[in-house]
Amino acid sequence: MNWRKLRVFVLTVLVLCLIPATRYYQIDVPLMRYLNGSRKVDPLSLHLAGEFVENNLGTEQGADGSVTVRMIAQQYLFVPHCILVPAGVPVHLRITSADAVHSLAFNGTIYNVKVLPGTISEARLQFSSPGEFKTVCREFCGAGHYAMRSALKVVPRDQFPVLRSGQRGNCEDQ
Amino acid sequence: MRTNRRLGFPGWSSPRLFALAVVVTAGSLLLGASGSLPEQIPSYVSWTPETIAAASAGDAFRGMLLAKRCEHCHGAEGFSDRSTTPNLAGMDQLAIWKELEDFRSHKRESRTMEPIAASLSSRDLADVVAYYAKLPVFTDLQDNRSFPQPRPNPSHAGMASHLISFGDGGRGIPPCQSCHGPVAYRIGVPSLANQNGDYVLGQLEAFANWNRANDINMPMRTISTLLTDEERHALAEYYGSGLGQQPGSNR
Repeated sequence: MNWRKLRVFVLTVLVLCLIPATRYYQIDVPLMRYLNGSRKVDPLSLHLAGEFVENNLGTEQGADGSVTVRMIAQQYLFVPHCILVPAGVPVHLRITSADAVHSLAFNGTIYNVKVLPGTISEARLQFSSPGEFKTVCREFCGAGHYAMRSALKVVPRDQFPVLRSGQRGNCEDQ
Repeated sequence: MRTNRRLGFPGWSSPRLFALAVVVTAGSLLLGASGSLPEQIPSYVSWTPETIAAASAGDAFRGMLLAKRCEHCHGAEGFSDRSTTPNLAGMDQLAIWKELEDFRSHKRESRTMEPIAASLSSRDLADVVAYYAKLPVFTDLQDNRSFPQPRPNPSHAGMASHLISFGDGGRGIPPCQSCHGPVAYRIGVPSLANQNGDYVLGQLEAFANWNRANDINMPMRTISTLLTDEERHALAEYYGSGLGQQPGSNR
């Protein structure tokens, strides 16, 4: 047995394991930050310009029927407070934080999205049947963390309102 | 001449290039216009380090001279005699600065305050804000102030103190004290401990009706909409009677 070769092999395996580990534990890696440069956003001026201005938040329906949800997590609220999505359609979630680290979780589902200030977190969600889910923050974010909850409403596809371009949907449309 | 020709693309004369540029620009403008509405901006204030430095660099003595104009409504000691006008004594300077800045840019509406704020320069704003932040909040029996109003009825006080201390997790209402103090403050958020009840109620209702829409990322518009009418009254009574200085007390 060539011990030197074995040592190199073991070390290589360990280093390779670190890559998925950083993704799994969501460790901040400068290289990944560089590669994700297009997902950067200034947390202090979300309300002034760009994707997260207040009239762009909520559910957007593209011309091809795709559904995008944009949200802001902040101390101690998710904005908009209740989101409306159609069932059986892949939903593209884009969320960012205005202050601290939050974690958006839909109770009763497998989805748990970590939200970091300065970065747009993306997720693909799909809900097979209509229903209502509680949305909670699963990362301690400050004094009001335990009341940081909101709702997600899944409605049948035919009941989902037809959104014009520029129009954003939330639970008030239902 | 020959070298010039060699540099250009073969078959692309300048009129053709120009036409292409026109088509591409017009097309992108049209596509861009159909996709999005004009942005709704709640407030031009963004809490960058430069903004905070500019807002907190005021001269309180000069602010004292400027504040003679504010005395008529906001009181000589920063406590107003009418309960619909806010008390400013001892309030965080960034909180008052943001409101003045929003009055100046017409992001918050007020017939009285918009022209006054527009007449102040950026330096005046920082100075007057520094003065009010330094005013003490002790009780002065000689002062004509409306502040500690009669105590609310006990059921209202209990409701309000629960909302202030714990919020309502079931509806997703965070506790008031996690931003408005005394447990924690966020930048630019006013303390409510010495605020007039009718003013608090008026602002909660204005936020709920979207008549006031200058909260950055709309926390107050969201929360005020979630509160019931009774809860808004209870909170206003609680703060207006001075109980907000020690939330959790029902008497």
